[in-house]
This record gives sequence, C-alpha cells and structure tokens, in this order.
Amino acid sequence: MNVQRRWINRLLLSSPLAMGGALCARAQDDAALAYYREAKINWKQADGQSLTIGLNKHPFTESLLPLIPEFRRLTGINVEYLILPEAEYFTKLVADLSQQRGEFSVIMTGPMRNWQYVPPDWILPLDGFLNNAKLTDPNWFKLDDFYPALIKANRWDGKTGGGVGEGPLYSIPVLAETYILAYRKDLFDQYNIKVPTTLEEMAEAAALVKKNAGIPGIVARGTPSVASMGTGFLSGLKSYTDGQWSEFDGKMNANFHDPRSVKYTELWINMVRDSGPPNWANMQWYDAMEAFTAGQAGMIADADFFAANYEDPKKSKVAGKVGYALIPPGPGGKTYSGLWTWALGISKATKNKDAAWLFVQWATAQRTLLNATLGYRNYNPSRQSITNDPRVQEIMGSWGNGSYLKVLAKNLETARVAWTPQPERTRLGDIWARALHEVYFKRLSAADALKKASVEMDKVLKEAGIK
Amino acid sequence: MNTAQRRHHWRREAFLPYLLLAPALVLLAGMIYPFALGSYYSLTSYWLQYPKRFRFVWFDNYVNLVTEPLFASALEFTLGFTVAAVALQVGLGLAIALFLHGRIPGRGAIRALMLLPLMMPPVITALMWKIMMASTNAGILNHMLSFVGVDPINWFGSTGGAVASILIIDTWGNLPFVALILLGGLQALPNEPYEAARVDGAGTLAVLRYVTLPLLSPFIVLVVLFRTMDSLRIFDVIYATTLGGPNDATTNLHIMAYQYSFQWFQMGKGMAQAIVLLLIVVICSYLLMRLWNRASESTQ
Repeated sequence: MNVQRRWINRLLLSSPLAMGGALCARAQDDAALAYYREAKINWKQADGQSLTIGLNKHPFTESLLPLIPEFRRLTGINVEYLILPEAEYFTKLVADLSQQRGEFSVIMTGPMRNWQYVPPDWILPLDGFLNNAKLTDPNWFKLDDFYPALIKANRWDGKTGGGVGEGPLYSIPVLAETYILAYRKDLFDQYNIKVPTTLEEMAEAAALVKKNAGIPGIVARGTPSVASMGTGFLSGLKSYTDGQWSEFDGKMNANFHDPRSVKYTELWINMVRDSGPPNWANMQWYDAMEAFTAGQAGMIADADFFAANYEDPKKSKVAGKVGYALIPPGPGGKTYSGLWTWALGISKATKNKDAAWLFVQWATAQRTLLNATLGYRNYNPSRQSITNDPRVQEIMGSWGNGSYLKVLAKNLETARVAWTPQPERTRLGDIWARALHEVYFKRLSAADALKKASVEMDKVLKEAGIK
Repeated sequence: MNTAQRRHHWRREAFLPYLLLAPALVLLAGMIYPFALGSYYSLTSYWLQYPKRFRFVWFDNYVNLVTEPLFASALEFTLGFTVAAVALQVGLGLAIALFLHGRIPGRGAIRALMLLPLMMPPVITALMWKIMMASTNAGILNHMLSFVGVDPINWFGSTGGAVASILIIDTWGNLPFVALILLGGLQALPNEPYEAARVDGAGTLAVLRYVTLPLLSPFIVLVVLFRTMDSLRIFDVIYATTLGGPNDATTNLHIMAYQYSFQWFQMGKGMAQAIVLLLIVVICSYLLMRLWNRASESTQ
C-alpha cells in the first residue's frame, strides 16, 4: 500500500500540472494541521512507527476516523484501528491486555474499567507523558481545561475500596456522563403532576402518568447485567442515602442488604413493576432511551446526554416537550449522581509508547474534541472550553428550554464516581442486577434477595484473593 | 526399472499416504489443540485478570458446580428446552412433511419458500423476532393476536414469555430443516407396503401408524439427533434476545459458560461448564446414534 502510494506521489509530482494540485492540497493540509503545530513539541518524533487503536463503537469513535489521515500527515505515524460493539470490545480488550501482546496500543477505557486493568499492571500511568516537555506542551494541551471532576475520576491510587481521585492519571476523558431525570413536561403540565423531589414522589408521578396518559410512567434499564445498575438506579440509591451507602462496608463486605438499600430497592422495584413498561426485565439502555424518545414513557432517570436524542426533531416525538431535573435527593436535600467518562489510555505492552501518547494527546486536543461534539454529537464535552463554545451553547442551551444546562451544571457539583474501586465491578453489578430480578418477579423479598447477593459477592472476592 | 528408479518410486509411494492425509491431519490438529487446551484450563483456576493465582486444581471446578445454584437451573433449562424444542419441531415438521407429501397445488413453491428461514443467520432471525415480539400492542405479533382476542403477551419481559419466545424463534428457524428431511424420507419410501396395507383394508390412520411411521423411523431419529445436538448448545438466539434473563429463566449451560469465561473471565470454571455441556451432547448423540443404527437395520 505504502509503496504504491509513494510511487503514485512521484508520478504526480513529475507533472507540473499535478504539482500545482499537490501544492494546493498542501495548503489545505497546513490549515487543518496549523492548530496542532502550535504545540511546542516535535510531532514527527515517532515518524514511521505504527499504532493499533482499540475502539468501542461510539460517536466519539466515528468522529475520530475521518481525522486519522490528518494525524498521519501530522506525525508520520501509521494508525490502524479495530472497532467493536461494547461487550465484544471489552472482552477482546481483556484478552489482549492479559496476554500482554500489545495488540492495542491506545485503548478506550474509563474509571471503572481502569480498576480492572491497573492491579495486574496492564495500563500505563499518563503523568510521565504529561510532564515530559519533549512529548507534551502543557500550555497548548491545557489539562486544566478538562472538568476537574473528570480528571479526578480517572485518577486512582490502586487501592481496593477507595482512592479515586488520588494517585496516577490512567486515562484522558473524551466525554462525560452524569445521570439526571428527564420527564415529559407536556404531560406533567397537562395532568398537574409535580416534578418529583423525593423517590416516593417519583413513584407517585409515575403512577399518575400511567393512569392519566395511558403510557408507562417510567422506563429504566432492566436486563440482568451490570449495565442496568450504574445509572439511574445507583445514582438514586446514593442520593436516597445522602451519599452514605456504598456497595461495601469498611471491611470490604458486600453491603447490598443494608436496610436503607433494602428500602430503596423495594420502592424502586415497586415503581418499575407498577408503573413501568411490561418488558422492563429485558430493557437495554437503548430500549429505554428509544421508548422515551418515541413518547412511550413519562420519565427516565438515565444518562444526561440522551437529551441529544430526545431533542432531535428528526428522530424524536418528544423534542421540545422534555423537562430536566435532578434525580430526587434524600433527606439531606442533595443529589449524588454517578459519573462515567469514556477516556483514552495506553496499554503497557505497547512497543511505541511515545507514539501512543502523541495519539492520545492529539485525539483529546481541544480542536479534535470540539469537532467530535459539533460534527458527531459527542456529548457531554469533557473540556470546559467546548461546553462554553457559542456553537455548543446554542445546541445544548436549547434543550429543555435552557433547563438542561442548568441541571447539568448543578449535577456536576456533587456528581462523582459512584462505584467502589475493586476489580470485580462487572461481576458485582451482574450479581446485584440478578437480585433485582428476584425481587421484581417476587421470587424473594428485597431483604432476602439482597442478602443472597451480598453472600455471593463476598464469595467471589474471597476467591479472587481481594478479601 | 533400475534400482535408483525403484528406490525413488518406493520413496514416493511411502510418502504419498502422508501427503494425502496432511490436510486431514492439519484439520485434526486444529480441532484437537483448542479442545485439549480447554480441557486443561478446566482443571485450573485460570482467571484472566489474576494471572498470579493460576493453579492446577484437578477437578475442583467440576465438583464445585454441584454447589453453584445457577448450574442446577441452567442444566434444567438446557434439558427441558431440548425436550420441548425437539418434540415441537419434529411433531410439527412431521405434520408439514405429511401435508406436503400429499398432492396439493403449489407444492414446489411452498417447498422453496420453506427454505427461507434456513438461509437466515440465527442472530438476524432472533433480532427480527425480537422486534416483532414487542410486549405491547406496538409489536406486530401482539397486534395480530389482538384480532383473535388475545391480550398482549409479555414476550421477553416475563420468565414464561421469554422461554416461549426462544422456543418459537428456534422452531421458526429450524422447522423447515426437519420438514424437508422428513419429506425427503417420505418420498423415498417404497410403494409395496402401502399397496399391501390398502389390500388389507387399512384406513389412513392405520397406514400412518403401522406403515409410514415405522418406515420413516430412521429419518425421524436422524432429525431428532441433529435437533437434539443443536438445541442442547443453543446460544445465538438467546444471546441476541434475552442474554439468559429474565431472572435466569433462559440461561442454559452454554450461556452460563459464556458468562463465566468472557464476562467474568473465569476461564477455568467456564471451560469446566463447557465440557460438562460437551459430555451431555456426546452422550445424547451416542444414544441416538445407536437408536438410529437399530432403526435403519430394522427397516432394511
């Protein structure tokens, strides 16, 4: 391929006409790359090296692909990539990391995933790259442009049970998601339903929507998987207990059966069973999101940026009819939303580490991320300057008649990674989600199902040598 | 032929069988290596993210299955589903084959149309049905059922509905295979026994019971064998629709082994579960093969 291209280039350059064309292309190229060349580093320092990037299918990924030739011209680094759907992506990633084959140089990861990759020493801390003047121009890259909460979320000191926000930075965030309540403002107004400020009121509102409008009052993720647990449900539980409850007590004993958690689970499952859709137990995130977008639900407590879908008049039946609010707080009056960031990290087994960092730096640079948001709906921005860009403000500012941005800003004040750091988070979520099914289908009481889940989780941690 | 020539000839001859066998040997090695590796892992505590805890544990993974609550329910679903699916598919398949064996107009067209589900990848079939089986009346299946006065069925959102859904989707995809094999069998049956039965004054049902079914039995055992093996290890339809839920109602051994191996990365345990499944498939196939031998001998 390369040989061929070089040959063609030579052929083109040999004709004066083509020369003019080449110069013209060169000028365009320079305009596109000028932004990156402002950085006081030598982008060509890894010229000729190759990288393979492991990517999850995602709007951010789509925004990156057309720009990769630009990166090649800027750095001379060859980039190949493999894009997989989320579940397959993480399976393939763990297979590669665990064998230390270094097939993927740069990976898409995030806080909870890093907890799995850091203890066996599979991914690199990035502080060394950030502090190396040869590799990073800090005044150009502007790490402090990222929301501090998001950078903190990607730091971890490697200790099971705590230490988020401390220790090395393992990945650079490319987007942020927190969890909020979206509701059908038109229906709430029409039937005089109050926007809920407690979980009990939320259940009431769901019942009223169902009774009056004849559609499910609430949709939520419900498949028996960790993917159902971390968004609305966990944020609600954290808020319900004023941020006090966590999956483990001080001695790393699973704590699902804590009385506050039992009470919350009963309320939540009753709400979903009584006022939710009949197929809650089979709902993935996109089923829930699409149901709400299609006008088939009164409320959804899930990722904030789903708003981009709800508010898209081309896809949505509810564009302009949605209100946004914080997930109901507990007695203390504060909401504690969970937080997730997709982020880029570097595999330890990769041979071309400097090249990998140049890629991460390029892909998380202000211009690259701004393009992802404006051109590919990569919400919410991880850099403050992107949120503040007038074009982004115009789009996000219109959602929910301006209420979206206000709710988001308020939510970010207290949002934090809701899970407790430990490598078996996926297993924990899967066990927990199965317990919810036992309650939903009335096989066990909430207290018994959650106790059973705690016992099972303790067994897993013991087997893994974590406890 | 001089000596040199003869030696050359001899050498070529000695070499030839191996050369001819080479592709098969490569294929065999390609099959045996992963199997041997999997069997070995099933005797270890191999857990991808804890490489330092790798140990040889003999049969611990197998013994511990007894106390694993999910294993009992997964085994139950694996076997129960297989019995139900095979009975349903072979029963319906036989009825369709008998129907098409009669002289009905448009038989050729129906036979060609019946091939359609066989050409569809099971995952596509599953996803197509998942859309049609939406729980409310928005789903086309429930919408159609509403015309005959059936209330919306909660296909994937209830445990019974999910089991029924998997059964329906699997049957839709595999019924044509059963029907076509049995139809082929029917058309290959000799005419004489039928004529004899007619002379003896046997009615339609008696012919079916005492002539057709016994003569067809090798074919029936054959489709039972194929469908049993496939139903025991069904994966794609379940993975694409319910992921084993709700409430583990559609988790079979294959799904369970997948979860242990690729969701939780406990390769040792996952492989042990996969090998238990393999043993069940081998035993069932062996018993059915014997039955098939006996059936085909007795009809000869």
